[in-house]
Amino acid sequence: MTIDGSLAQWRERAHRFEQEIEKAVIGQRRAIRLITISIFTRGHVLLEGDVGVGKTTLLRAVSRALGGEFVRVEGTVDMMPTDLLYHTYLADDGRPRVEPGALLRQADRLSVFFFNEINRARPQVHSLLLRLMAERSVSAFDREYAFPHLQVFADRNMIEREETFELPAAARDRFLMEIAVAAPRDEETRRQLLFDPRFHDPDALVRRVEPGSFDYRAVVDVARAIQEQVTASEALQRYVLRLWTALLDPAGASVSLPDLDVAHLVKGGASPRGLAFLVAAARVRAFLEGRDYLVPEDIREIFIEVMAHRIFVDPIYAMRGDEPVKRLCRAVFDATPTP
Amino acid sequence: MATLFLALLLALPVSCAAAQAATAEIHSERPFGYFVGDLIHAFVDIRAEADADLRPASLPSPGPLTISLDLRDSRLEPIAAAEGRRWRLHLTYQTFYVSLDVRDIKIPGFTLIVARPGGDEPLSVPSWSVGVAPLREVTPTKAQEAVDYLRPDGDPPRIGERERERVTMALAAATLLALLLVARDRAIPPFHSRSVRRFARLARRLGPLEWRPADAAQTIEAMQSLHRAIDATAGRSVLSSDLPAFLDAHPQFAPAEAALRRFFDLSERLFYGDAAARDDDMAEIAAVARALARRERAR
Repeated sequence: MTIDGSLAQWRERAHRFEQEIEKAVIGQRRAIRLITISIFTRGHVLLEGDVGVGKTTLLRAVSRALGGEFVRVEGTVDMMPTDLLYHTYLADDGRPRVEPGALLRQADRLSVFFFNEINRARPQVHSLLLRLMAERSVSAFDREYAFPHLQVFADRNMIEREETFELPAAARDRFLMEIAVAAPRDEETRRQLLFDPRFHDPDALVRRVEPGSFDYRAVVDVARAIQEQVTASEALQRYVLRLWTALLDPAGASVSLPDLDVAHLVKGGASPRGLAFLVAAARVRAFLEGRDYLVPEDIREIFIEVMAHRIFVDPIYAMRGDEPVKRLCRAVFDATPTP
Repeated sequence: MATLFLALLLALPVSCAAAQAATAEIHSERPFGYFVGDLIHAFVDIRAEADADLRPASLPSPGPLTISLDLRDSRLEPIAAAEGRRWRLHLTYQTFYVSLDVRDIKIPGFTLIVARPGGDEPLSVPSWSVGVAPLREVTPTKAQEAVDYLRPDGDPPRIGERERERVTMALAAATLLALLLVARDRAIPPFHSRSVRRFARLARRLGPLEWRPADAAQTIEAMQSLHRAIDATAGRSVLSSDLPAFLDAHPQFAPAEAALRRFFDLSERLFYGDAAARDDDMAEIAAVARALARRERAR
């Protein structure tokens, strides 16, 4: 029942980390919790949300609390993979120079790499990013650069369709979660955001965050320890397998939705890798809740964020965005008995 | 009856067609005693050589024959014969002749076509007559009232009503019962608020187990049954964190909140943690089921 002494300390640090971020970003408790889960799962994150809801401020606060370096890149339609790696310029002597870009210069110190509007960049850039995310390394200047602590955050421009390149399925599958960052609903929070001057200066806001709530270089080991120490009972394993079956064959599991043909909804993506990511993230959630065993709530709490962006639906429903998948996920949970 | 009918048959004179081989003989049920509207049954026996055949198109077809005589039906029946071929042409006429005295009316003849290898030959069936009679006397006895010239209507047949009433009542009762069963099944008013009493059923089942030394498998099974009953009441799978929403939707269980919370904690430790079932767990589960069963009736 009790978590190992050092892990218990890490849980306290994780909570302190969340509290630090909440100093800068209000009304985003769930997004902050999910980011914390992704950090301790060592997974990359897609952010989803309207313009101006504070995604960048949130990430800068995360980066500051986490320690390490923060690099931000804007996706553009003419961006090439080399733009991420090299910095080319004409030197004072008039000769061209090629030097490592911001990414390579601080490879082993880099903790947060934020790719803004990732779908503005071309597929060539996506494939470099895929390598960076999957292997945490890139090749440049005839050598390998390793990014042992790197965590990629990316957000997609969901408004414009012109000059955007949808992320390929394989790239989306590399992201652990897609976290929705929405404007706060609570009236008091909204009032503060609009009328409290401290929320109008993002730099000052981020400075309120105490840097380095914990050592980002230790997260690799802590993440491994969490995965080893949080257990999944036989009942829970059966429950997750039942969920998976219901997701792949909703009609067979008596799942029905009023205006969706559930028998033909899911075309793919509920893969073993996706489910393995889900269990890994659920273990971190259990750790943050102070348990050393998984319960169904751990799975449900993160299910949509981990699974929805990697489930591909029939093209008939694809036009409706991820709403059919989210509804299906909820219906699957409602129909699957526990334990 | 058939014998009587046959006995009444009267063979009419035979008409011979041009070829000696084919003959036609008319038989009628009786040659007299017909009133307006009566059916006149007759048949024509036709004999021909073995290689002959009758042209179907030449057979008389039903329809009006004269102003007061219709052919109602005509049917050809082949008859097995030792030599040559035989047919019996059944004819049913109906007379509409309103006769004022007893007299004969003529039934027109017709011509059949007999097909032979050598060519077609006509076989004429001659006209014949039957006697018709008036329905009433021409000058009846003088009556006081015009209505006295008419015979009164016959009494309608008496039909037993009691039997039908009984059948109707029985069917009505069966229909009502079926409607009630459907209404109960579909929870249509007055059954809309009927509770399935899942917890009462479960509490009854767990009652006897409570006082025995329970083994772990029984405890697990009882716990799962209670989870399923809660799920069925909510219409969805209820996790521990759903408890407040469940109690909001089913306020009758709110007084049992503490018991429910204890149950979910116990279930979590037993199913997902490393706790093992204890001897008194079954009593705890049965107590929760009893508490819920009591509240279930409050609906």
